[in-house]
Amino acid sequence: MVTEKNNEQDYQKSSISVLGKALINGFFGGIFWSIIGVVMYYFNFAEIAPKTFLLRSWTKAQWTTGWLGEVVSIFMVGVLSILVAVIYYGLFKKINSMWIGVVYGLIVWGIVFYILEPIFSTVPELTEFNQDTIVSTICLFILYGLFIGYSISFDYYEMLIRLQQKKKT
Amino acid sequence: MGGSKRKTHISSNIKDVQAYMKERVGVGISYDLEFRELVLLKRKVQLYFLNGQVSDLVAIEIIKKLVSINDEESNQKKLFEIVENRLANLSVEHTNTMDEAVNQMLSGLIIVFVDGEKKAFIVDVRDYPGRQPEEPDTERVIRGSRDGFTENVIINTALTRRRIRDARLRHEMLSVGERSKTDVCLCYIKDIANDEMIELTKDKIRSIEIDGITMADKALEEFIIENKWNPFPLVRYTERPDVAANHLFEGHLLLIVDTSPSVIILPTTYFDHLEHAEEYRQSPAVGTFIRWSRLLAVFASLFLLPLWLLFSMEPTLLPKTLSFIGPNEEGTIPVAVQIILAVLGVEFVRMAAVHTPTPLATALGLIAAVVIGQIAIDVGMFSPEVILYIAISTIGVYVTPSYELSVANKLLKLLLIIITALFGVPGFLIGLLLSTLFLVNMNSLRTPYLWPFIPFNAGAMLKFIFRIPVPFSEGRPSIVYPKDTISQEVKN
Repeated sequence: MVTEKNNEQDYQKSSISVLGKALINGFFGGIFWSIIGVVMYYFNFAEIAPKTFLLRSWTKAQWTTGWLGEVVSIFMVGVLSILVAVIYYGLFKKINSMWIGVVYGLIVWGIVFYILEPIFSTVPELTEFNQDTIVSTICLFILYGLFIGYSISFDYYEMLIRLQQKKKT
Repeated sequence: MGGSKRKTHISSNIKDVQAYMKERVGVGISYDLEFRELVLLKRKVQLYFLNGQVSDLVAIEIIKKLVSINDEESNQKKLFEIVENRLANLSVEHTNTMDEAVNQMLSGLIIVFVDGEKKAFIVDVRDYPGRQPEEPDTERVIRGSRDGFTENVIINTALTRRRIRDARLRHEMLSVGERSKTDVCLCYIKDIANDEMIELTKDKIRSIEIDGITMADKALEEFIIENKWNPFPLVRYTERPDVAANHLFEGHLLLIVDTSPSVIILPTTYFDHLEHAEEYRQSPAVGTFIRWSRLLAVFASLFLLPLWLLFSMEPTLLPKTLSFIGPNEEGTIPVAVQIILAVLGVEFVRMAAVHTPTPLATALGLIAAVVIGQIAIDVGMFSPEVILYIAISTIGVYVTPSYELSVANKLLKLLLIIITALFGVPGFLIGLLLSTLFLVNMNSLRTPYLWPFIPFNAGAMLKFIFRIPVPFSEGRPSIVYPKDTISQEVKN
């Protein structure tokens, strides 16, 4: 009985650390992929940047057009991505496959570009985008979902292996 | 080894032994098999050995000692024990099967049969032809040790053992090849390396049934990894004992294959291939700078050409400040074809340089760089910008520390160029996406290939981006599932 209780405690402690890692994964994933998003906007692969969603829809202030606008919006994506990571952690953490991350990225893309689209006044409707923008944003969101999703699933899987190893010794 | 199930025992009649050796092994036909018969205390004693792999001086000493038995001893019944005492050598073993005796003889040991005994001696007097440790050509450093692995597995294990004087370091010998019987040494530190990984590797090596592996480590690699057609290197090679020892401390496994100076490190990720001993020989800040420059160069070797092609195809993509990029005059040949031709041309030069004797290499370089490059522009075949970007991208290929990775990157680059030329922006983006998914999907002994990037591991990524000072890095990489995760206590 004692060992079982210990195992239970071990599991809880470890899964808290996995949740902590998930938050970090979400934050860095948001920062990194939104930087890539800004680069794609700069080179005109996409007509919209993170700031189009997160800043330009609410404020037309002068500072949002410059680099400060980019930095602030990148940081905001990082914070929002923590939420994205927590949702993944709650739903799919037990599936250790990269493809679920890919699907998750597609779902997030659908939510942002279709369902939430009316919130962002500066973002045009899906049909008004050119082909390049749609392809580039889908690619970006797939990698974003893969990054966050696969990292969380893998951390969880690694934790299970580590617990097993501990039990053996 | 047809007799692996039915082993032939050594006959007590030495004539049977002689007949067996003549018929099965070819003593008297193969000139490198030597045979010497002595009569000691009126009993026959026979020695068999290979003439190229035995130290002559030691062999002569042994025969002298044995012959002196006739002068100094008289107990004929105890000849076997007397001979054993007289074999003044560090390593003397017994065997009672012919198969083992023959195997050992063929790996360069002397076997001694005594008439009337069902056992034989195996005396280790090996002296393989080979070279001394010298600095490996492919992994030079400015400071640091200058010794490198050789073709001899025994010297190689000695070189790692000199760096790890740990009782828990294991050098397990396995044999691969039904006919070649190549020695393969699996090295790991027992209380660090993951047991399952060790067992998995051993199983894979044991299940190999092939005549021989003349391409040594490369052939072995192809048996161990799952994805045989994958261009990306799933194991890392090194010829430096310090790099090898460092990976042992981190919990990796090493495979040393006799007859090859490159040692296999298992498992590895993409980012392992981008590290170089040089970074660890300089101060952490300098090491970090070197690593960043190297990353930039590798990045350029992959993406510079496809990106530039994209911009020259669709100049509207460029922001105003960068609008000077792109060819001023298109020329008659499409840019994409120019790039592909030039990439192939560089490949020709590289291959030619490998085969060209050193005295002619300078002339070759001159022809390649000056004559072909300049004239191609003058004639109007290539635009000068193509030559510029090809040059930068090629240098990037040579900066990649792992030769295997640089070649795989080259293939990926060519693929991206072609898909970009065909489909423009969507082609480039989807090509990037697919190649990333492909890399993420790869595994090296159950280790994700793009770790620590995807799946993300903040600590390991930090350690890759910055060259952390050695006193501050306390953990081993979690990806090898080490049994002992802490390499040192960090004192503040």
